[in-house]
Amino acid sequence: MTDLIPLTALGCTAARHEKIGAFHLTERPNLALASLSLRKGQAVPSPFGLVLPGPGQAVWSGDHGAFWTGRDQWMIEANGQTDLAALLKAAVPNASITEQTDGFAAFELTTEQGADAIDEVMRKLVNLDPHAFEAGSATRTTLDHISVFLIRRAPDKLSVIGMRTYAAALWHALAQVARRTDADIDARLSP
Amino acid sequence: MTRLSTGGLIDRETQLRFSFNGRSYTGHPGDTLASALLANGVQLVGRSFKYHRPRGVFAAGSEEPNAMVELRSGARQEPNTRATVAELFDGLVARSQNHVGSLERDLLAINDLFAPFLAAGFYYKTFMWPKAFWEKLYEPAIRRAAGLGTLSMRPDPDSYDKGFLHCDLLVIGAGAAGLAAALTAGRAGAQVVLAEEDFQLGGRLLSERDSLDGAEASLWVTKMREELQSLANVRLMPRTTVFGAYDHGIYGAVERVADHLPTPGDRVRQSLWRIRAKRAILAAGAIERHIPFAENDRPGIMLAGAMRAYANRWAVTPLKNATDRVAVFTNGDDGHRTALDLMAHGVPVLGVIDTRADAPRFGDYRLFAGATITGTKGRHGLTAIQITQGSKAAWYSVGALGVAGGWNPNVHLASHHRGRPVWDEGVLAFLPGPNGPHGLIPVGAAAGKGGVANALADGMQGAITALGQIGLAAKPIPLPQAENTPATQEAFWHVPGRRRAWVDFQNDVTVKDIALAHKENMRSVEHLKRWTTLGMATDQGKTSNISALAVMAELTGKTIPQTGTTMFRPPYTGVSLAVLGGGDTGPHFRPKRLTPTHYWASARGASFIEVGPWMRAQFFPQPGETHWRHSVDREVLAVRAGVGICDVTTLGKIDVQGADAGEFLNRVYANMMGTLKVGMVRYGLMLREDGHAYDDGTCARLAEDHFIVTTTTANAAGVYRQLEFFRQCVWPDLDVQLISTTDAWAQIAVAGPKSRMLLQRVVDDADISNAAFPFMACRALTICGGLRARLFRISFSGELAYELAVPARYGHALMERLMEQGADLGVTPYGTEALGVLRIEKGHAAGAELNGQTTAQMLGLGRMVSAKKDSVGAIMSRREGLAGDKRRLVGLKPVTAQTPVAAGSHLFTRRAVQDMANDQGWVTSACYSPHLESYIALGFLEDGENRLGEVITAANPLEGQEVAVEVVSAHFVDPDGGRLRD
Amino acid sequence: MLIPHPLLGPRDAQEFIYLGDATLMHRPDATRPDAEAAFCDYVFLRHNPAGVHRELWFHEAGDRSWLVVTRNTVTHEIIGAELACDVKLGVTQ
Repeated sequence: MTDLIPLTALGCTAARHEKIGAFHLTERPNLALASLSLRKGQAVPSPFGLVLPGPGQAVWSGDHGAFWTGRDQWMIEANGQTDLAALLKAAVPNASITEQTDGFAAFELTTEQGADAIDEVMRKLVNLDPHAFEAGSATRTTLDHISVFLIRRAPDKLSVIGMRTYAAALWHALAQVARRTDADIDARLSP
Repeated sequence: MTRLSTGGLIDRETQLRFSFNGRSYTGHPGDTLASALLANGVQLVGRSFKYHRPRGVFAAGSEEPNAMVELRSGARQEPNTRATVAELFDGLVARSQNHVGSLERDLLAINDLFAPFLAAGFYYKTFMWPKAFWEKLYEPAIRRAAGLGTLSMRPDPDSYDKGFLHCDLLVIGAGAAGLAAALTAGRAGAQVVLAEEDFQLGGRLLSERDSLDGAEASLWVTKMREELQSLANVRLMPRTTVFGAYDHGIYGAVERVADHLPTPGDRVRQSLWRIRAKRAILAAGAIERHIPFAENDRPGIMLAGAMRAYANRWAVTPLKNATDRVAVFTNGDDGHRTALDLMAHGVPVLGVIDTRADAPRFGDYRLFAGATITGTKGRHGLTAIQITQGSKAAWYSVGALGVAGGWNPNVHLASHHRGRPVWDEGVLAFLPGPNGPHGLIPVGAAAGKGGVANALADGMQGAITALGQIGLAAKPIPLPQAENTPATQEAFWHVPGRRRAWVDFQNDVTVKDIALAHKENMRSVEHLKRWTTLGMATDQGKTSNISALAVMAELTGKTIPQTGTTMFRPPYTGVSLAVLGGGDTGPHFRPKRLTPTHYWASARGASFIEVGPWMRAQFFPQPGETHWRHSVDREVLAVRAGVGICDVTTLGKIDVQGADAGEFLNRVYANMMGTLKVGMVRYGLMLREDGHAYDDGTCARLAEDHFIVTTTTANAAGVYRQLEFFRQCVWPDLDVQLISTTDAWAQIAVAGPKSRMLLQRVVDDADISNAAFPFMACRALTICGGLRARLFRISFSGELAYELAVPARYGHALMERLMEQGADLGVTPYGTEALGVLRIEKGHAAGAELNGQTTAQMLGLGRMVSAKKDSVGAIMSRREGLAGDKRRLVGLKPVTAQTPVAAGSHLFTRRAVQDMANDQGWVTSACYSPHLESYIALGFLEDGENRLGEVITAANPLEGQEVAVEVVSAHFVDPDGGRLRD
Repeated sequence: MLIPHPLLGPRDAQEFIYLGDATLMHRPDATRPDAEAAFCDYVFLRHNPAGVHRELWFHEAGDRSWLVVTRNTVTHEIIGAELACDVKLGVTQ
């Protein structure tokens, strides 16, 4: 084990968490990522028992998950792995595998107000129809000029995976929208 | 006070205090600033743009031309706000604008006396000479005299937001037609957005006395609002203006989230919505037009429909004294409704002046049939009108006059996308034409189908049709019992006469001005608009354009449809730049990319510089260093003498894998890449297909089927896009996969003669001796007790150097470790400035040399373009014009070492005339070299490779600089490259 | 504008980068005798029709696919969109 101490994408040793009204914004530094691209003519594999999903979709099974990122290309997720690419390469030796854990920062936005609050946040964040973006949906889009993967892990849980070097800007954008959405919900609830 | 004792949709129990021009008044929730001013008997609210004529409230909505005020104070001061749409709140502060001295005694009212000289075109003709006077004298003076409100000149303290909505049906306008459409679609389960400009739903239903199901219409509106609010699939958006229709069913809208509050609190002030609607219903209603007649612009004269709205919705009249009489001037039935409504409220009515000889009578009031108004009196407010009936003219004292010239369907949005409205002789108005935005269906009054019963039915049917087009079934909903009031009128456009009759109030355009424009040969309506400025003010001529067209048609002997309308373009009403600017200002205006060592550099006091989206450490000042050059010179010398470390993560990194990866890279790089041995790195040059140099970097081969391509920081995204283009569009038969990994690795340059010594202290057990790990070697290894890393022996500085890549999260700790381990070696962090100096000293090309105008040959890399294979740009690089270019990258050294050379200077032979014909090239990069103790530069010079030793001139005529420079090798440092290989 | 992505459905044009005429997919054969002239045409000559145009769009903020979009340049009506690699490989028209 190296004695170097890693920092999260936000520059801390611990994951950041912020409660914003009814929203919780959480950094997930332990989400390991590796991309899997099929070689020409390669059949679609099932790494870690995952049924790799079609366009716009994500799947999970145990500690692993996968979401579609392009034709014949997926991002594989795992909780807490240190060298996911090596494990994935072992599982699918013929595919093109690239370690991506450190390429991205993963943030999760959850709410105590249910799916509608996540829908409302999405309306301020991205140009995607929240009704068509149900649990299990995943896509890349732009958010405040930042290219991100958006995954709806549950009706009230939205994952935003953005380029690591944009982490601080992305956190700012998410926290600000959560604050504004919370203020909107408050205003609507008060007479 | 002219507040009526009963009625109105106002909360009489609650008092709101506000001030206008420093005087305090009160109003009620539900009031606009305009209705509250009228309730307090304030008729005079502003001055006109050009003649500074006294003006009063003219309309009851966003079409208002006159009642423009400055709202609020301090940093929130907002000019040119229409009092007719400003919601009253407690503590509101408003001021009139466009006057010098008090509103009542505006000194610039003198302009009105000079009106005969100030007709349309006056400015164009008068202030032409001398030309130089325009910018310095005329324009500022005219702008001062004709300015509207003033800006606070302070930063806006509020925040703004943006968002995206997706719906099946966007309903624009929540009057009778819009509510029927929204409810029909809402009950059918469609995703509906209902946008209403007003703060209340209901549209004209709130302003008329029509009954629905035998009861007040507002009761039905309340019921509708409650049902719509209860539907999860309907989004109600009051205070929201849909201002533009864009391609493919995209609409722009501004929601005024907090304009009606003293301060927004924790909410945003306004929000910009981009609405993607599969279909849209335009239920924007109609805007009333007036009839120009002599002296028709006095306060107290307003649209007859607005007068009804003030009486019915706000329980006020535009009278100064409640006992004064009101008259109505009309060319159709609609004006009579105003008289009837006012009478029902107990307001004294003189009668109705109807231009029609056979005008019908609808109630017990005096009817002047076949009559017109030919004059008015009253300095700051209407006191009398002259009614002319046949040859008889007589004066009548009145305190207010309603003018009803007919209703113009609000075709604005339906006329975006170059859709042209179509004249309908039956309703005497332009209706939405067939070529407007696709998927937008106008209904109700906006489609010329006025009358409550018509509007309700049309709105419902519009929704059924719209949803049917996208495969959703909607059922008719039960509509309330309603009637259509009689609405016949005649085509009567203006009262002819010698005195001025205003058409466009805000811009002071009269019938005479239109006649003058015609005389000046302005034949097209677009010319008329620009010559007279008609319809060009903040109201965009909403109440005046059609009257002007009719007058112009009459003058030209053409019909109104032959005359045509001007082009309609977004926005429908003004949109603040703040809301278009979006959510963030200041440091968050643009998202920033932070390198993996950003916080480390920041803690060391680095000075940062923006490089595209990146924040990069520019240099690391030390105590006692008072000038950036002190720091940079120290950093450069430390690298040349010992070892320096620098974060170079920003360079683009692309993972290229696949069986054909080598072949693919052969095709995209000018030089051979497929022959590269595993474990080695090669410098690579990419050309554009037109043969010019595009980007350079290194390419490392980690395995037979696995390469890492690096790009310059600036071109990282562009090179990736280009590689994907060739992979997908040109050679999709190759087995290649691309993944960008720029962010995944913290890449640290370790440069200087002691770099190997430093690295040996952190790598675990790999042999990185010169023999085992020579120049241009690369390998995966572990460092610091098992951390996976990649080491590349490449050099940008010309020294023995490496780049060490670790997973990004370890970048910070790696820097700390290198600093600890290298303390005795004098390890020095360096920034982009030193990086730049080091590469200029070594003669390495960077962005300034790869500017898109240079070729491989010019860069001295001509032999890199392999003749053994085809690659992107290879064929075109051999074109005569490119291949024959004799300019070459050279080093330039000032004859006196301490004379700076400016990048961008042009190169000339000594004593040559400095013009384009004698231009010999240009300076691309320049810096001070602490190593050579001289300023140095790189540049492209004609026949440069054969001119070493010649002294030429680097000229910077913009700043009057001229420097004698000696042409030298671009490799100022270690030209043989021995240091790299040791 | 909305680009009807063949895999992802309609996506806002803001997610895309526009390149231009889809004839750029047909890079000339560098071994033909008139290669330089052919490349000059390929690089510099474009039709610029007022009407139906086949053009290349890159889904930069999406799945990084290049699309061939058939668009009417006058009305902005989009007649169709296909993956460029399928077009090139002859999988689709």
